[in-house]
Amino acid sequence: MPQSQPSRSQKFFRILLRLFPFDFRGNYGGEMAGLFDEQHREVEQQGGRIGLLRLWTEAIWGILRTAPREHWDILRQDCLCAFRIMQNNRGFTAIAVLTLALGIGANTAIFSAVDAVLLRPLPYSQGQQLVFIREQARKVGVDDIQWSVPEIKDYRRQNDVLSALVEYHSMSFTLFGHGDPDRVKTGVVSWNYFDVLGVRPLLGRSFRPEDDRIGAPPVLLLSNEYWRAKFGADPNVVGQTFEMNDKVHTVIGVLPAIPQYPRDNDVYMPTSACPFRSSKEMIESRDGHMMEVFGRLKPGVTLGQAQADFSTIASRLESEYPKSYPANLGYAVAVAPLKQTLSHGAQPTLLALLAAAVFVLLIACANVANLTLSRMAKREREFAVRTALGAGRIRLLRQLLTESFLLALLGAAAGLLLAYVSLPLLTDFAARLSPRAREIRIDSGVLWFTLLVAFGSSIVFGSISALFSRVNLNAGLKEGATASGTGRSQNRVRSVLVVSQVAFSFVLLIGAGLMLRSLVKMLQVNPGFVSQRVLAMRINFNWSKYKTADRYPELGKKLVDRIETEPGVISAAVASSYPLQPELLSGGPSLNSFQIEGRPLGPGEAPPIADTVDVSPAFFRTLGIPLIRGREFQPSDDAKESKIAVINQAMQRRFWPDEDPLGKRVSFDDGKNWWRIVGVVGDVRDLGLDRKPALQAYVCLAQGGGVGTLLVRTAMDPAGMGDSLTRAVHEVDPTTAVSEVLTLDRARSESLSSPRTTASLLGLFAALALVIATAGIGGILALMVSQRVHEIGIRMALGAPPSEVLVMILRQGLLLASLGVAIGFGGALVLTGLVKSLVFEVTPTDPVTFVAVPLVFITAAVVASYVPARRAASIDPVVALRCE
Amino acid sequence: MRRKDATQSFLPLTPAMFHILLALADGEKHGYAILKEVARRTEGKVRLSAGTLYGNLARLERSGMIAESGRRPAIGLDDERRRYYRLTPFGREVALAEARRMEEALSQARAKLLIHKPQTT
Repeated sequence: MPQSQPSRSQKFFRILLRLFPFDFRGNYGGEMAGLFDEQHREVEQQGGRIGLLRLWTEAIWGILRTAPREHWDILRQDCLCAFRIMQNNRGFTAIAVLTLALGIGANTAIFSAVDAVLLRPLPYSQGQQLVFIREQARKVGVDDIQWSVPEIKDYRRQNDVLSALVEYHSMSFTLFGHGDPDRVKTGVVSWNYFDVLGVRPLLGRSFRPEDDRIGAPPVLLLSNEYWRAKFGADPNVVGQTFEMNDKVHTVIGVLPAIPQYPRDNDVYMPTSACPFRSSKEMIESRDGHMMEVFGRLKPGVTLGQAQADFSTIASRLESEYPKSYPANLGYAVAVAPLKQTLSHGAQPTLLALLAAAVFVLLIACANVANLTLSRMAKREREFAVRTALGAGRIRLLRQLLTESFLLALLGAAAGLLLAYVSLPLLTDFAARLSPRAREIRIDSGVLWFTLLVAFGSSIVFGSISALFSRVNLNAGLKEGATASGTGRSQNRVRSVLVVSQVAFSFVLLIGAGLMLRSLVKMLQVNPGFVSQRVLAMRINFNWSKYKTADRYPELGKKLVDRIETEPGVISAAVASSYPLQPELLSGGPSLNSFQIEGRPLGPGEAPPIADTVDVSPAFFRTLGIPLIRGREFQPSDDAKESKIAVINQAMQRRFWPDEDPLGKRVSFDDGKNWWRIVGVVGDVRDLGLDRKPALQAYVCLAQGGGVGTLLVRTAMDPAGMGDSLTRAVHEVDPTTAVSEVLTLDRARSESLSSPRTTASLLGLFAALALVIATAGIGGILALMVSQRVHEIGIRMALGAPPSEVLVMILRQGLLLASLGVAIGFGGALVLTGLVKSLVFEVTPTDPVTFVAVPLVFITAAVVASYVPARRAASIDPVVALRCE
Repeated sequence: MRRKDATQSFLPLTPAMFHILLALADGEKHGYAILKEVARRTEGKVRLSAGTLYGNLARLERSGMIAESGRRPAIGLDDERRRYYRLTPFGREVALAEARRMEEALSQARAKLLIHKPQTT
């Protein structure tokens, strides 16, 4: 009987049947369709529309209820079966889970950092509206100038794009009334600073407008970290009073844990409480640059509009105050999203590490796919039996993918554990790159990511093994079908997998090699000073006791004189900062524009800029900075003499390349005072070992300047001398707070901690990749040897010496490695451009790295191939032939 | 697992399963016949859809309570898409155990005077 065309209802019912698992459909689909047709016909004959509606409702509901149960049943069966198989193959399971755990764990850990630092919205309310605004002098290449009070007032009044503009600066004050004098990093902010950020205090209240009026009783908000560390999270701290700057300060609240930018502070106070910010000179001086500025965009205002508005105000001010904004500086204002400002320093490093982690995962997947394929060869018979018993191909594929997913899930669980354990280290590392590091945690977003990665990995390695095993599903039952023809095609797949593992590992190893070379270069670079046996300590004179700056040099001299009498001290000096000082690296140097006597600037020409440091006479001797010509400062140089300066070689090369700079004069204050150059010293990499020495001018502290640090060169290891030197400082002045006691060796080493950690992490990833890839080469060769026992037996029976067999197998291993290296070489040339910004004095195509890494790989491949090659060479032809 | 334990592990049966087993108690039937028989016996109170019926048939078949019958009707009466199902001895045991369980529950309800005994006149 010819089949009639199915009706629309029949077609629709058949579509619904697709909701059932494939095998269920195969078993019952036809019958169900037939039964539904009969029911439909019957109801139609009875002529009831309501009957038809009821039939359809029941049919659809029945399918929707039954289909998920069927899927669930299959999944349960597959899982039980998979667990049984895993239990019976513990070695394989352990290796696969461990490999995947490394791959997934690396990704989870790095992703948790990427998520916290780069992706997640700021933990402030409506954080996307927050902006960070910088003043710039573009023509002289300075992109972050701090703001003065009149500028803040102007921009606050004149802009139409911000709902609020708030200021911030950070200073260190000495807090009395809680044990020893405690030096606290203090954020000085507008009263509505926290309201604008959308931060509510955890305890107590925030600042109010009346707190910010000149003469208001000083109040403090404690940062969460300081509150926990110093007050043991005591809620009764609110209302307590402390003395700072000779005034009683009342704690009015405690902040929640928030990222603090640009630096972490212990306490916050309103601007009126800061003796410097509230001074008349500061309030009136347009050139007293001290503050940072944050703003909140009005709803609906774009960044572009805000930038345009601020640029307009900037040009207005430029023409209104030409003395403060000389045309040759290129005065400008830049508005940037706060989120980007907080994370841009971390972006290249974190993305490079994420890419490396993805590579490790791909290599892990290729490795597990290879392991699974090897096991598939052993399971062919099992699949053939199941096929013979009626299991369809899709059913078997589903089973395989379930097994893969379970493996990946176990790997993910172990990986999550790895990531969790490494979290404190990772946070510590990321904290050097972004203040948002404290937000790093494993939350639901990261868990979803891990699950997604596990699912993706299982699809990758599960489908590779499932697809390439399909060939054998029907061949397994044949007598002696131990994979000959099909084995060869599987070997090809395995070889491709091994080659790709080598290629990916190669790229990683090149990346790690470049970072390592760059780190070594940084370690070898001459910093320009001798860091051994020098102790640096931050000195904070009690601001309120020494109100005028002219007392500092005298006090500094007293300190140096007292410290030099300490046993073991060779020399001591005070200075405004020292090379590689952590604060200098994060906050930037003190840059000053200057003019050279007799060299007027051309119209529109930018003035030169130098990094100026105030130093006492023994500074150069204490730090081992060599004197090139002229003289150092001497104790006899004082305020009564005409002002003098010492410059570095970079400055000499730049301005007096063919002349003697000694005796030349420069001015840092528009010609009011002139500093005579009396000496030239060696260049110092004070802003980072990877940065070129800046133009530096040292001015004589005795002639005026700030004291920030005490530097002591000792005869023995200075690490243990902190306490006795602090006591000595307190003998001179008990109200001086001493903090950040650090050896210069330590400062130097800490300045490298970020590149060192990046290199270590990349190195770790690369080492993992290398081990996995070489194990892959060894594994596939071992398999090939076991498959070719017969052939090798014949060769040897025909007279081939064992050495020839050994070389043959080694050659195969080398071929795989060389192919992978060649592909990886190309990939590395393309990809290493991405790490360009992370390396120092190393080109992305560094010849040393590109020669050394292939050598490492080839050596590793030879070692990995040697074991199976030895086995092949020791095959006894008689035994081998008898076996077949 | 002992046979009795195996029987108990399936109790209580879902109403649909019980009705299917009952429908097959007096002889093998194909799906549509089971469906009709259940509807007739319960006076339309229990209506099985195709999905529910075959979901349960698959389950009963997997657990060994029913099996596909090898016998088929005469060629003229046969529809090749249809399969016939029969109750296995194990299926009969489970159905019986379920009936006893229900009977016991019923007698307990009666003892508590929740329902009255059928009156004899």
